[in-house]
Amino acid sequence: MTQLDITVHNEHHRLLLSISGPINSYTFTDFQEKVYKAIAQADTAIDMEHVTALSSAGLGVIMTAMEDAETTGHGFAIVNPSEIARLAIDSTGFGDRFPVVKTLKQV
Amino acid sequence: MCRRGRRAERTVVLEARAASVLRFEDFIDRLDFLTPRERYCLKLAGSEILDNLVKHASPIYRSRIYARATRRGASILLGFFFRSPSFAAFAGDGGPWSAVAKPLFDPAHRRWRGIGLVMCRNLARRVDFRPGERMDRIFLEFEREK
Repeated sequence: MTQLDITVHNEHHRLLLSISGPINSYTFTDFQEKVYKAIAQADTAIDMEHVTALSSAGLGVIMTAMEDAETTGHGFAIVNPSEIARLAIDSTGFGDRFPVVKTLKQV
Repeated sequence: MCRRGRRAERTVVLEARAASVLRFEDFIDRLDFLTPRERYCLKLAGSEILDNLVKHASPIYRSRIYARATRRGASILLGFFFRSPSFAAFAGDGGPWSAVAKPLFDPAHRRWRGIGLVMCRNLARRVDFRPGERMDRIFLEFEREK
């Protein structure tokens, strides 16, 4: 899969971004735009179950969104990351600081 | 079909441009002699190397980068082969890959920098940068999954 698909919808009073495909240096700008827009508006969760790659550019977007969430007071969570997304998060050396949950109910 | 335990190897030729990361990911996805987790490590670390080559080592001769994945014994090797006049500086003392860096936030561009280097170091057992007179090379060595 080479295309990144992002759908945004409201669920349990928060914005849920469902991501499918690779978040890499070539595709991350769309991811960046939608994540920053969402976190500025409301509590946000990103479903990463169907992510097929996660580059440093994508991780940087998530880390910036975590800071934006603190600034705006909005909640932010990563839901059910795929094995490669989890591996990318852990490869930063500070994976425990990422707000990862298994299901939306845990948020 | 390759059997685990025997040497296996595949090579892909990539153009030195941003979109090549998609072709590289597809190449890794098709390496049937690796386990899924081994492929994930190669894909994540290799994409970071390729992205940095395209961004920081240009011009690359004939705009060609060869990527070769090899399974041999207890190791997996991912090599990048190319010719870049700026690679020696890129890989040298002042280059981004030689510094023992922590990720830093660049407020002007609202971007984190240095994460890719940390990822490569944590995913691979060894990362070697070898500028050469005829060919420049980068090797990443990974452990095979038990």
